[in-house]
Amino acid sequence: MSLPSSPVAPALPLTFQPLPYSSLQGRAGFSGFPSPAQDYEPRTLDLNTRLIKNPTQTFYLSAAGDSMEGWGIFEGDLLVVDRSIKPRLGHILVAMLDDEVLIKRYALYRGTPHLCSAHPHYPPLPLEDTDCQLWGVVRAVIHEYLR
Amino acid sequence: MIGLVDANNFYVSCERVFDPSLEGRPVGVMSNNDGCIIARSAEMKAMEIPMGMPAFKLEALRRRGEIHLKSSNYELYGDMSARLCQLLRDACPAVSPYSIDEMFIYLEEFTDRQCQIIGEWLRRRIRRHLGLPVCVGLAPTHTLAKLANHFAKTMPDFQGVCLLQADDTTTAALLRQTPVGSVWGIGRRLAERLAVSKIHTAWDLREADVQQLRKRFSVVLARTALELRGTPCLHMNDLDQPRHRIMTSRSFGQPTGVKGQVHDALRRHAQRSAEKLRQQQSMARAVMIFLNTNRHRPDQRQYFPHAMIALPAPSDDTRAILDAVRQGLEQIYRPGYRFIKAGVMLLDLVDAEQHQLSLLNPPSRHRYPRLMATLDDINRRMGQGTISFGMTNADAAWQLRCAHRSHRYTTRWDELMQAGTHPGAIRECALRKQPLP
Repeated sequence: MSLPSSPVAPALPLTFQPLPYSSLQGRAGFSGFPSPAQDYEPRTLDLNTRLIKNPTQTFYLSAAGDSMEGWGIFEGDLLVVDRSIKPRLGHILVAMLDDEVLIKRYALYRGTPHLCSAHPHYPPLPLEDTDCQLWGVVRAVIHEYLR
Repeated sequence: MIGLVDANNFYVSCERVFDPSLEGRPVGVMSNNDGCIIARSAEMKAMEIPMGMPAFKLEALRRRGEIHLKSSNYELYGDMSARLCQLLRDACPAVSPYSIDEMFIYLEEFTDRQCQIIGEWLRRRIRRHLGLPVCVGLAPTHTLAKLANHFAKTMPDFQGVCLLQADDTTTAALLRQTPVGSVWGIGRRLAERLAVSKIHTAWDLREADVQQLRKRFSVVLARTALELRGTPCLHMNDLDQPRHRIMTSRSFGQPTGVKGQVHDALRRHAQRSAEKLRQQQSMARAVMIFLNTNRHRPDQRQYFPHAMIALPAPSDDTRAILDAVRQGLEQIYRPGYRFIKAGVMLLDLVDAEQHQLSLLNPPSRHRYPRLMATLDDINRRMGQGTISFGMTNADAAWQLRCAHRSHRYTTRWDELMQAGTHPGAIRECALRKQPLP
């Protein structure tokens, strides 16, 4: 049984797809000696389990713009966003402000919480008296050098 | 207590999760091929645009930017539904999905007060973690839970969570002001017949003599009356309400991970569902399939996938439904799991008579109604499954017209939601990608 070769992506959360791994359960040769690997769980490192702690609440977004480059987020980068995390100062957030979806760092600026970017052209946005809404917390950024 | 978690305007809410600019504006979702309105936001309901309104009549409003219309994006809705179901499974002892946007939860070992708190907690959690607004109805029976959900949705005082005790003055007052036609499973015709017997409200039905109801109407109606009194007598299998959705699902005799066996089971369920569909003279717009592994075996790998496939046009043709099932299975099947249950659900049903064939999409299989009628007739007379479909058309064209479909944000790598690093960044990014004039 092989993975479906259809070009259509699965209609379940991408985060639910297990990474394929090869089975190591075979025996070594025909000699009758059991393979020493037999007692180990056939498991290889899985990036999903490392980057995605809450699959149901994890969404992938893509970044646009250059003003977060100072914190390592470049245009086209893949954001792993977990909506179940409570935001804390220092987190990078996806937030909604005036119908726009923004990636910003949640940090103190002159003693009050602001949404900050890493670019001098874009001053910190104060959070007080705005109807800014949290969308999710960025758990990881994936920057692909080859695609 | 039984709880019913029901997403508000589910399709519209899914669209809004990924496009916050739709928040607070009138939004409608159109059926396959952008035919008519199948979901409306509260703002659109307030404009008195009815369900089923042909989309072309709204084109002027859309052009002027007064309303937003979206093509149905079943991949997105199916994925969000699977997430909703999984979130409930993580939190509740037992969950049973009833439709794409309604899930029953079973909270047997909790007090009423605890149930109320769980309901409020779930509502907040679903809103925050998935971005979906839901209402929760809690009651001792399915029928009352459904009514409780209705009150939670329509009466702002409940703040989205309504718990109905069986014998309680509030429950009595609410049932007295509820027309009997709003009770689960009571259609317009039955409501008219009940009116002749002076049963006008849900309370009248609850107080009616059960023996009389059974004699003059049906066992089902007698059970509904008992359910309104707080005596549980409906099980999940009885809940197939005509004209809403059709579900056929069954556990495998033996758990299986073999694709062919899973496919066979799904095909059987699809054929049975299609038959039920024709019996009630409806057509489906979409097909959902699901597989379950055994959740009581933590030693085994768990997988509860769903797939949702839109039909090119509303259909009651077994072959179209089988094609959709095959497509869906290709999407979700993974080797290495032991499945114990498979099911097929037909969604977004329309009346076959009312459905007008679109001139733009003439049915390619124009002789099928006779074929289907003959098939059903033979199967009725000679037994279930006497004639069934073998191979189905493997390369059906699934060219849907969907001019206004939003991105399939959660299922396609090249359609992800964008987030800008500063205001205007998304627009600038789009401009950069455009070739210079």
